[in-house]
Amino acid sequence: MFSTELVAQTAISGVMIGVLYALMALGITFIYSIMRMINWAMGEFYMIGSYLQFMLVAWVLGPDLWWLAILISTAGVFLLGLVVQWGLIKPIFKKPPEMRDDYATVVTLALLLFLRSIATGLAGPNQFTPGSTLPIMMIGPMPMAGARVAAFVFALAALGIFWAVLRYTWYGLALRAASQSRVGVQTAGIDVLSVDRVAFGIGVALAGLAGALLAPVFLVFPTNGMITTVKGFEIVVIGGLGSIPGALIAGILLGLIESFGAAFIDSAYQNIYGFLLVLAILVLRPTGLFGERGREA
Amino acid sequence: MSAFASTGFGRSAITILVAAAVLLLLPLVASSFVLHVATIGFYYVILAASWNLLAGYTGQFSLAHHAFAAVGAYTSGLLGYHWGISFWIGIPAGVLLSAAMGFVLGRLVLKMRAIYLAIATWAFAETVHVYLTADYQFTRGELGLSVKPLFGSVDPLKYYFLFLGLTVVLLIGMRALIDSPLGYFMRAIKDDELRAKSLGIDTTKVKVAIFSLSSAIAGLAGGFYAHYTVLLSPQMIDFSEMAKIVIMVVIGGFGTFLGPIIGAAPVQVVMTYLQSWGEWNLAVFALIVIVLMRFSMEGIAAVFTPLWRRMWRDG
Repeated sequence: MFSTELVAQTAISGVMIGVLYALMALGITFIYSIMRMINWAMGEFYMIGSYLQFMLVAWVLGPDLWWLAILISTAGVFLLGLVVQWGLIKPIFKKPPEMRDDYATVVTLALLLFLRSIATGLAGPNQFTPGSTLPIMMIGPMPMAGARVAAFVFALAALGIFWAVLRYTWYGLALRAASQSRVGVQTAGIDVLSVDRVAFGIGVALAGLAGALLAPVFLVFPTNGMITTVKGFEIVVIGGLGSIPGALIAGILLGLIESFGAAFIDSAYQNIYGFLLVLAILVLRPTGLFGERGREA
Repeated sequence: MSAFASTGFGRSAITILVAAAVLLLLPLVASSFVLHVATIGFYYVILAASWNLLAGYTGQFSLAHHAFAAVGAYTSGLLGYHWGISFWIGIPAGVLLSAAMGFVLGRLVLKMRAIYLAIATWAFAETVHVYLTADYQFTRGELGLSVKPLFGSVDPLKYYFLFLGLTVVLLIGMRALIDSPLGYFMRAIKDDELRAKSLGIDTTKVKVAIFSLSSAIAGLAGGFYAHYTVLLSPQMIDFSEMAKIVIMVVIGGFGTFLGPIIGAAPVQVVMTYLQSWGEWNLAVFALIVIVLMRFSMEGIAAVFTPLWRRMWRDG
């Protein structure tokens, strides 16, 4: 049962899916670190990304241009994020500071309900799949579904670009500055509300990207974002809110635990192992994997 | 009487009892369908009020309140289904299990910034949801778990009185808690946790206690709910249930005692009558909430506050 090949295959598929969960966690944590709020509707942006991907592949571009469809879907979710931030989240700053958390929570919860109902109303509870013409690939001796490998490669590329933009561009500097001090960044002449808008757009676009990439793997239906979002939040608890390396490492760790649990214990409980990992981390290291500063109130 | 009526607690208790006395007469005029809607409405009043205790008064956002109700419901349901154990043991067991889960989760997460409670409870609720669906051989999953009715039949009349009584007792209890020293600690934590701590309040202990208590109340409501609806499904932990509770509290008035009581009823009634619209009714509700939040965050209770003051003649 514990053959080397099975262990290696389980490990590879764990890392591959973990990176996609990390995308989701990164979106959550990125929005939080700039705007100091949690966007509870992340899963719905994931869902919209996957529907866009399905529609583009099935009706417009065809399965061979799937990579173009992914770029368009991600861009579409980014634009939607800008609109949502402008219409719903920006007014947060007209509220007194002690009400902002409540406002952000309730509005994004309502947004979750709204988008999900719209999706069910328009597309019904049916499950779609954009399909994938990618052949099964061999990683060493192990066969892997082409769509999963493609998702992994795309996610890695997106993480690389995200990191490079944050690290080396002027706008990335502005974003990092805003995450340190919202007042400080304003004294430097940067419009913090426009930084917010872009940050929100990027954060939900990461979720949309994960949705588009995972559409052929996990199917497309109105609540398909839920499971991946929960994993995103579990990663955030493990890796710490606001930590980018934390999101990546905790994401891979979660992917591995889940993959090994499914292979060696029982695959029916695949989506439960992550929560057990969260409990274990909270018991063993209450400050999170990286000893996040200020986590304890 | 007058001395009793001059305390906040006394006034609230009198008002609740008068309202309950009026509601006792409802079965004289209402059809059994209306009684059914009202009974389910009481269930939501209990959930909304106990969630408000935690979120509105203590400032700790739990997103697993519906999951604790489901824990209470499924505990009693499963004990009865597999081992034929009566609700006399089943419901208290469900309450204890909900409270214990709340306590453990609270101990692990409530030391941290408030936002971690919301995140961890969200993950907890979905994990319970996944478990109930996945372990269908034990929980019957989507097939539905059948539960014995409490009074031998499902005629809503008796359940109406039961839930009315339960709601009155719990509301008066919660009011007493809010007016007790612990209630002041709760509000102090919500206003400024660091300052509350510096004044010598063991804030973590208070938060864990309130979280366990509100989870236990949810478990209690869930237990009775199970023995009324007779069929449980994981739909009970669908996230839209949690959103419904939040919306009820927010429409009524967040962090006010009256809020969840007057918020739950209209939401439940309108949702029942909009059910023919299918999924769209939730979209309509979500829009209402967004608009409400955009313009005012005080909810319906804000309209009633001046009336309340005038009623007891203080300015």
